[in-house]
Amino acid sequence: MRSKLAPLAALTVTAVALTLAGCSAGGDAGDNGDVTTITFGNWRVEDAALWEENVIPAFEAAHPEIKVTYQPTGTDDYNAAIQSQIESGTGPDVIMCRPFDVNRAWIDDGYFDDLTGLPGIDGFTDTALAAWQGNDGNPYCVPIASVLAGFYYNKTIFDELGLEIPTTMAEFTDVLQAIKDDGTYTPLALGSADGWQLSYNVLDSIGPNYWQGEDGRLGLIDGTKKLTDPEFVDAFQAVADLKAFMPDGYQSLTYEDQMQLFTLGKAAIMPDGSWDVTAATATGLDVGVFAPPVVADGDQRYLQEMPDQGVGLNADSKNKDAAKVFLSWLASSEFQSIYVDKVPGFFSMGSEPVTYTNALAQEFADLKTDALLTPRLQLDRLSAGNPPLDDNTWAVLQTVLNDGVSPADATSKLQTDLDSWYVPAS
Amino acid sequence: MIRTGTRYRLLALFVLPALLVYVGFSVYPLLSSVALSFFDSDNGGSTFAGFGNYIYLFTDPYVSERFWNALRNSVVFFGIHLVVELPIGLLMAALLTSNSVRRSRGVYRTLLFIPATLSVVIVGFLWRLIINPLWGLVSFPLLGDAATALPTISLMSVWQYIGIPMIFLFTALIAIPEDILEASRIDGARAWATFWQIKFPLILPQFGLIAILTYIWTFNGFDIVYALNGSAPGPNYSTDILGTLFYRTFFGSSGQVADTDLGATIASVVFFIILVTTAAYFVVLQRRLKTYEL
Repeated sequence: MRSKLAPLAALTVTAVALTLAGCSAGGDAGDNGDVTTITFGNWRVEDAALWEENVIPAFEAAHPEIKVTYQPTGTDDYNAAIQSQIESGTGPDVIMCRPFDVNRAWIDDGYFDDLTGLPGIDGFTDTALAAWQGNDGNPYCVPIASVLAGFYYNKTIFDELGLEIPTTMAEFTDVLQAIKDDGTYTPLALGSADGWQLSYNVLDSIGPNYWQGEDGRLGLIDGTKKLTDPEFVDAFQAVADLKAFMPDGYQSLTYEDQMQLFTLGKAAIMPDGSWDVTAATATGLDVGVFAPPVVADGDQRYLQEMPDQGVGLNADSKNKDAAKVFLSWLASSEFQSIYVDKVPGFFSMGSEPVTYTNALAQEFADLKTDALLTPRLQLDRLSAGNPPLDDNTWAVLQTVLNDGVSPADATSKLQTDLDSWYVPAS
Repeated sequence: MIRTGTRYRLLALFVLPALLVYVGFSVYPLLSSVALSFFDSDNGGSTFAGFGNYIYLFTDPYVSERFWNALRNSVVFFGIHLVVELPIGLLMAALLTSNSVRRSRGVYRTLLFIPATLSVVIVGFLWRLIINPLWGLVSFPLLGDAATALPTISLMSVWQYIGIPMIFLFTALIAIPEDILEASRIDGARAWATFWQIKFPLILPQFGLIAILTYIWTFNGFDIVYALNGSAPGPNYSTDILGTLFYRTFFGSSGQVADTDLGATIASVVFFIILVTTAAYFVVLQRRLKTYEL
């Protein structure tokens, strides 16, 4: 005779186990006595240790009643993750903001609270705040960091082959040709599998020297210039000319492969952003950085400085007061000194000067002297519709490098697609 | 004997929990997604748009180009599975049930099924490393060339899931009673004839079933392409399938803002395509396949 109690006992045990599991999972966030915990959603998984060991403890020491939880999501999934979290009401209290058009769409959807009047927000210039303004002109995110784009180079390889840092595009081609002729190293650590970095780190890095930075970018926005103008076509041609110096099979090489190729000492030069200062030096190589060369000797030099990270307040947050304290602290110079020091490669956007202890980061920052700065070409107002100039540029650059599409055809396609929805703000 | 009324009540009681979960997590989201496709939300507040989203999907030059491209790629993705995965699965199932691998049958069966248990991200990255021009064995950039990228990813997916049709057809093959095969041997049938004239017709219904299941799974496919190429996949959208098109439209990507209504429209269209084709298959083909009482 089988026991009649056994099934009942099994059922009870299961029910109790499930309840306990449910309780322990849900009891983490929220108030615990007088300490409020706020969550910080962002896309910098790579910086988790740096934030959790250096930045957040400094904040919690100054404000013991608030705890901050660092909640990163990988950058490719970040936009989708934040959108679904906010739509379902489980978004983090403070959210890292993408620049320009994507953020404006989020502001229009009501994700963020207006930050006018936040203590510390007036310490930023209008250009700094511009990337995170709504259509009403109010600031919605505190600017944290901007990034620069340049060319990392292996100093040992340069010394070995007797090369100098190029200052003009002609010298740059000569340097690349010399490395290629030598045969031991790959001239350029660049692949075309990841389209975004072709656009942000190559086109938008050497391009401003062709289209005169802000003149070109604002010209596209107000309609006085077109992508089919000669200066833009020349910039695309300069990118196409790099094909000869890319490694074999570059069509399959991803961003990670590039970094591996460079840090293993097999390639001499890598176009990349300042956020990879730590990664580029991770294997102990002697790495320097040079700015994108000018077209002709004596030209004004332009450098890409992109407002990269801002932090905004979730409109549905339940801990707004604590979150606002955190945001004010992020606007202070105390945070900025710690951040740019401990997370090298990101540059402060505040008006007060900051020094960088990381030598390579300082070298990067020094590239700004005597250069006119401009953000990436496609992200402000030109990507708000369909097809967005940003994604379109990625795909088109891949066709230029992989399928041999001519720069004239490429720019003409981009301009036609842009004209299909974009009305210049004149 | 339980009375009929009580029997039906008991049946309903036992089915109810599973039914609730199914309705709550499958049927309701499906219906609400279809409902969402009939609305248009511009800057807060949804307005009823009727079939406006569908018309936009099929007439706007950029959106429709992406859609037809994704549909074409999905058909290629399914085609490669149909032509490569099913015959090889059938071959392996036939080998496993033949007399040659009697002793190590269990070992081979397990080994061939293991890739199906691996995480799709692991499979993708492993294969990508193997075919990487820099660190791997192949110097031609398979994933970077628009012509070879989609077949390559399809073959990776085939490699991973080859165990599924194999197990399916294996169970169908071992259900064939030994006396039928003995009779065919007495009549002088050799191995090839035994397989194609006796075994294969007997498993034809199951073969059709696994074919249509492969169709449904590949048209709903998403994870391997997303794991390898992200949400705007492939060199110039050449590996963009319906799943990734939907994901990119609904959630947006780093440069593209999200359009949830258009995404819901795409999802509804995909559902409709799969529904119609599967229904047509069952009505037209599956009925014609003779099922034998074994």
